[in-house]
Amino acid sequence: MKSIVIGAHLLRDDIEPVAEAVPVGDLFLSALPVADDQPLGDRELLIRVAGIRARMLDVATFVAIRYGLTIAGPSEGEAKCGSHLWRWRKLLTAHRDRVEMTLKVAAATSRPRPDRREFTGGAEYLRALHAATQATNVDPAFRAAAERLLVPLAVEHRWSHRDERSLELALLVDRDRLDDVRAAGEELRRISPDVPFLFSGPWPLEVFADDDRE
Amino acid sequence: MTEELEELPLLETLDHLLDRGVIIAGEAVISIGDVDLLYLGLNVVLANVDAIIRTSKR
Repeated sequence: MKSIVIGAHLLRDDIEPVAEAVPVGDLFLSALPVADDQPLGDRELLIRVAGIRARMLDVATFVAIRYGLTIAGPSEGEAKCGSHLWRWRKLLTAHRDRVEMTLKVAAATSRPRPDRREFTGGAEYLRALHAATQATNVDPAFRAAAERLLVPLAVEHRWSHRDERSLELALLVDRDRLDDVRAAGEELRRISPDVPFLFSGPWPLEVFADDDRE
Repeated sequence: MTEELEELPLLETLDHLLDRGVIIAGEAVISIGDVDLLYLGLNVVLANVDAIIRTSKR
């Protein structure tokens, strides 16, 4: 058996009985045991893990670990995650009652994605791809409205270029303000009917956990 | 919150699962049907190019 690691949590009770709790240092990894020969790319498995993430988020906020990490037990979990534990504890303690929301906005202006066949080297292609992504922008009026309506409700926020077709605003919000945040999202849709966007969440600590490297 | 997952487009849910969160070196077997086509292991991270660029900038 191997276990697919889903997140890092402060307490065992934040995980069980929804998933398996694997102790690592003074934290716990949530994990889903599967057969050794289980392909991780299986669609049903992905959906199952997504469901487990959502159910655990109902209980308490956790640090999301990107899909793909598997461990055979606590010692391997410690070996692979040990260097992160102090930072995760700090994040979990600070943000236990907070969740992420994401606003994904279609680009108003963008540069076409570069064609790999036009580049002789991989590095050159990656630079062009990065430049195309960074050139993406959203409608300034929409961005101003999003910042006016949503950002004041967030503890932290961050705009990021995710690809050459969209920008994303990640918000870290208190759980008890989720209704206000959703209402602000509805207001944004009402005043910006022509801008395609997806306001989704709540999510565990994903963007802010990934970025908070020291 | 669990119910909200069902209302989200599947693509968005999978995007968060596969393209967000802390990256730890891992391994994956890419399969179609019952045939394992590719094994990625050790310090290889399974991610799209955009995600790798974002990560390398930090």
